[in-house]
Amino acid sequence: MPSKLRFVVGAGLIVLAIGYLITTAVRNTSEYYLTVNEVGARQGQLSGQMLRVAGRVKAGTISWDPATLTLGFAMVSPPNPDGSPVKPVAAAEPAEFHVIARGEPKPDMFAAGRDVIVEGRLAADGTIVARQVLTSCPSKYVPKQAK
Amino acid sequence: MPLIGQLALALALVVAVYSIGANLLGIRRNSPDLLLSARHALWAMCAMVTVAVAALWTGLLTSDFSLEYVASYSSVTLPIQYKFAALWGGQQGSLLFWTWLLSIFTSIAIFQNRRRNPEIMPWALVVLAGVAIFFLGMLNFVTRPFDLLAAVPPDGSDLNPLLQNYWMAIHPPSLYTGYVSAAVPFAFACGALITRKLDDGWIRTTRRWAIFSWFFLTLGNLFGARWAYEVLGWGGYWAWDPVENAAFMPWLVMTAYLHSVMIQERKDMLKVWNLALIGMAFMLTLFGTFLTRSGVISSVHSFTQSGLGPYFLTFLIVVVVGYTALLASRVKDLKSPAEFESYLSREAAFLFNNLMLVGIAFAVFWGTVFPVISEAVRGVKITVGPPFFDKVNGPLALGLVFLMGVGPLIAWRRTSPQTLMRTFLAPLTMGMGAGVVVFAMGLRQWYVLTALSLAAFAIGTVVVEFRRGVSARRHLVHETPARALVNLVAKNNRRYGGYIIHLGVVFAFIGIVASSFFRTEVKRSVRTGQSFSIGAYDITYLGLKGVETAHLEDLSARLAVYSGGRQIATMAPAKLFYKRPQQPATRVAIRSTPLADLYIVLAGVDDQSGLATFEVFLTPLVFWLWAGGLMMAIGTVVVMWPNVRERAALAVVLGRDEALGAAPVPGGD
Repeated sequence: MPSKLRFVVGAGLIVLAIGYLITTAVRNTSEYYLTVNEVGARQGQLSGQMLRVAGRVKAGTISWDPATLTLGFAMVSPPNPDGSPVKPVAAAEPAEFHVIARGEPKPDMFAAGRDVIVEGRLAADGTIVARQVLTSCPSKYVPKQAK
Repeated sequence: MPLIGQLALALALVVAVYSIGANLLGIRRNSPDLLLSARHALWAMCAMVTVAVAALWTGLLTSDFSLEYVASYSSVTLPIQYKFAALWGGQQGSLLFWTWLLSIFTSIAIFQNRRRNPEIMPWALVVLAGVAIFFLGMLNFVTRPFDLLAAVPPDGSDLNPLLQNYWMAIHPPSLYTGYVSAAVPFAFACGALITRKLDDGWIRTTRRWAIFSWFFLTLGNLFGARWAYEVLGWGGYWAWDPVENAAFMPWLVMTAYLHSVMIQERKDMLKVWNLALIGMAFMLTLFGTFLTRSGVISSVHSFTQSGLGPYFLTFLIVVVVGYTALLASRVKDLKSPAEFESYLSREAAFLFNNLMLVGIAFAVFWGTVFPVISEAVRGVKITVGPPFFDKVNGPLALGLVFLMGVGPLIAWRRTSPQTLMRTFLAPLTMGMGAGVVVFAMGLRQWYVLTALSLAAFAIGTVVVEFRRGVSARRHLVHETPARALVNLVAKNNRRYGGYIIHLGVVFAFIGIVASSFFRTEVKRSVRTGQSFSIGAYDITYLGLKGVETAHLEDLSARLAVYSGGRQIATMAPAKLFYKRPQQPATRVAIRSTPLADLYIVLAGVDDQSGLATFEVFLTPLVFWLWAGGLMMAIGTVVVMWPNVRERAALAVVLGRDEALGAAPVPGGD
């Protein structure tokens, strides 16, 4: 029996170590994942935080300077949230945020009206300084209904 | 043609339901005729699904745009190989493809076991038919591949440009093959549990299926990584995206399973654990499909949002609850007489390797579903990105590589510390030596130093094993070293194939560590004639060239690459503008050497200023990730190679069952 106990202890230690790794990693790496409207609703408390924000690129707001690799655009909530995995907060005002991304090339799929996920810090003036702009690339995209 | 396909799918569903009824009734009445009829029904199901697949392929190849599926995922100008690949380019087609594989594998399993496992087989077939019925139900009622369009468009909207790529054409089939073939061992496990035939017969019977599944999961993951590397143009190959995780988790659990079944075969231990692992592996394949089909977790690969999610979730819950209950009800029968004796034993190494693999799988699972859980518990969606996965899995990977070095050399049951020291002297020296060399080269990151030392240690173990085997043969049978090596592997293909896989894993690990820690990146906008440099390379932009075809417009930049004042290459990264759907894509230029990959992306061309923007990555040793992957594949083929001794062992195990008074074999002699 003692050898069995020793193994239970050994295995338990490994499980504990894995649990410890997971909990500390969660604490150190988690980011809020919000929609544009949700960020709008709690702008005050989120200022200065790392966020992942899902939204849509507003038409006519894109500026791109290839010499300095600076991309700027305004991000709004998708007008039609059904089918979107992100649930809108019921009472939130429609919000709009200016996003600025420096030093990154413009993603291929980036265009007005595209859904994007922006990873970055919310500055005090309400601009999102992006570390990364991800375009939702529909690897199996919804065909337009030809009816 | 569409009508034939539709009809075939309906018939397939009918015969699948019939086969379950015939099997259950046949088991109850002990009627070989009914059981035989159930098998024939599943063969008919396979034939019907094949007809449906042929019908959809015909639609794609003849550009029959009256089919909604063809109009959505193909076009007149789409190259023919991608018309073939469009079968799994969309949701309906990929589910049909899945079902097709399942029906083929079921038929093969029936043929293999026509005279074997008379008791387990009917139940295993009930499970396989149950899975098939779920998928056929989806294809018949929820997401139908043969729906027609009211107005036939002149041309289709084309396959997503990102999927028009060699790797993407082979990545989904590999992954699906890996996913679906996991159903066979799972079904046998269910059969063994139901019939209480809980020795290792089911494991031996399905061993090759499990390895086959593992082989294709490995390839599927590697092809996906390679595709991301070549096509997405961000210089990396893995981003811990939920969809990638969904493919990685079953691989981890299947790896654990393949190791722990060896303990059961040898020591009759860990029976419950093995049954749990194969259950988890199968559930994770379903979970992966659920994840990609439901939109529950947002991914950069946002797949078609469809109404499939709730169905998949229900099916998944039924499988999880049903299997867990079944396993729980049999725990009493699964008591093992043997026990672990010592930490210094191969059993212990395998046990800890299992804990780590499952631990990694759990961490990946947790990180993947974390947004959903945090939203449910705290009302806020919180994500954990790649840093989470790196932080957790990095240390666990070190543990695994260490155990990979220990496992092959340590004895079963127990080893004395003295023997241990003697056995491990050479590999330990190699490991330490590598650490010292790397330290002397100026590397100071503790993780890299540890990782490379452990990698050298694990390689050392394998080298020692091969050397020992070869020299034994040379002395006993007087063979030349080369001959001895070949015979050694041929005569013990399971063992030495496994070592080849280990080597592949270690090489891939080295590639992953080096590319994660030492990748450098330069982003620059330049005019024709201007130069910039990265690492030891100087790169000059020579100009643009545009080519237009009916399908796409290809704008490629020419760059001369110099090293030490000498031109070593001309590279041509390109931007592709697809015409339908109008969408740009990137063609990366890669110059790969065993030391480092030079990776150039044409990120954009500004028409007004004439500036071309390049993103250049220099990634050391990433070559070894792919080389290691190739070795893993070769090793797996060696392991799967038919082996006379193994077949004899299986016959003994199954014969033992029959001697204990099994039912007569239907259709047998």
